[in-house]
Amino acid sequence: MNPAHPPQVRSLASRILRDLVGVAVLAIASLAVGLLMNRRSPDPLPVVYQTPEQRFDAELTTLVAAPPFKIAPAATVTLDDFRSAVDRKSALILDARPSVFFGNGHVPGALNLARDDFAHDYRQLADPLQAAHDKPIIVYCSGGDCHDSKMVANALLSLGFSNVSVFTGGWDAWSAAGLPASTGSGR
Amino acid sequence: MTLSDNSRRYAVHAVSLAVAAVFIYAGIDKIRDPLQFADSIAAFAILPAVLINLLAMGLPPFEIASGLLLIGPWTRRVGSLAVAVILVVFMIALSSALLRGLTLDCGCFGVGAPSRPRMWLELALDAVLLSGALFVYLRSISRLVFTSR
Repeated sequence: MNPAHPPQVRSLASRILRDLVGVAVLAIASLAVGLLMNRRSPDPLPVVYQTPEQRFDAELTTLVAAPPFKIAPAATVTLDDFRSAVDRKSALILDARPSVFFGNGHVPGALNLARDDFAHDYRQLADPLQAAHDKPIIVYCSGGDCHDSKMVANALLSLGFSNVSVFTGGWDAWSAAGLPASTGSGR
Repeated sequence: MTLSDNSRRYAVHAVSLAVAAVFIYAGIDKIRDPLQFADSIAAFAILPAVLINLLAMGLPPFEIASGLLLIGPWTRRVGSLAVAVILVVFMIALSSALLRGLTLDCGCFGVGAPSRPRMWLELALDAVLLSGALFVYLRSISRLVFTSR
């Protein structure tokens, strides 16, 4: 600080600098607390981040020994086809969104096979999935840019389900069309 | 002490409490689901994988601690500056994502569906919170510097 500056300006700059040091100390202490909490967590995060796709592939390896996950993408269906399948109950409808979104609202009759908890939900839904093994299965997620439905459909094809398609419009298109919705976990 | 001084003092208390409440709530909400928060950070496509989980672990305690420091009269200065610093970082990250055409859930206040209108709304909320934090910091520091002789 230039000695020509008034004492109040020097004092202000010195205070701000000290406060910034305080913020840095707070940040380091917070990181230490965060690391400690993560270490004690029953489901700790790894140090290096894994994308949802990497975690999903890792989960799938708990269901099948040698996952052949690079297969042709599932077919897609339009809103009209999807609505018809829902009305006539001619397909098993799967919602690939996290359970909290499913609970808030989902397509009537849909079951929740969440991408982010796939292995768990897959085991939970073993009976209805086996019953629908050779029947049409339609998967949806939020709509727009969401990838969860495509990932879940791809995984089901990998696991031997032969007739799996994706409703790309997803929940957004269904609710925007004013179609009926169910709430709750549905389990 | 004049009425105006009293009014300013109450305003500082009120703004501090409001900003603190938002930050404590946001921090607790993020602690509940660190994996989801890490995914939200990754969606910004700014940080390398090695820093994402560290930020997901460290930021929620930082938000809660900053909020708690904002409540105490003697710790308010550091708390408000910490909140201001983190809000500037949030605003840069959100603006950068908006400029790059990304549609994401910023993870600022719990889990939500990716939405650009919501990103704009959260940018506006960050601006309001930043002005509150700066108001508290500048009031606290000016009182300290310009009244202590």
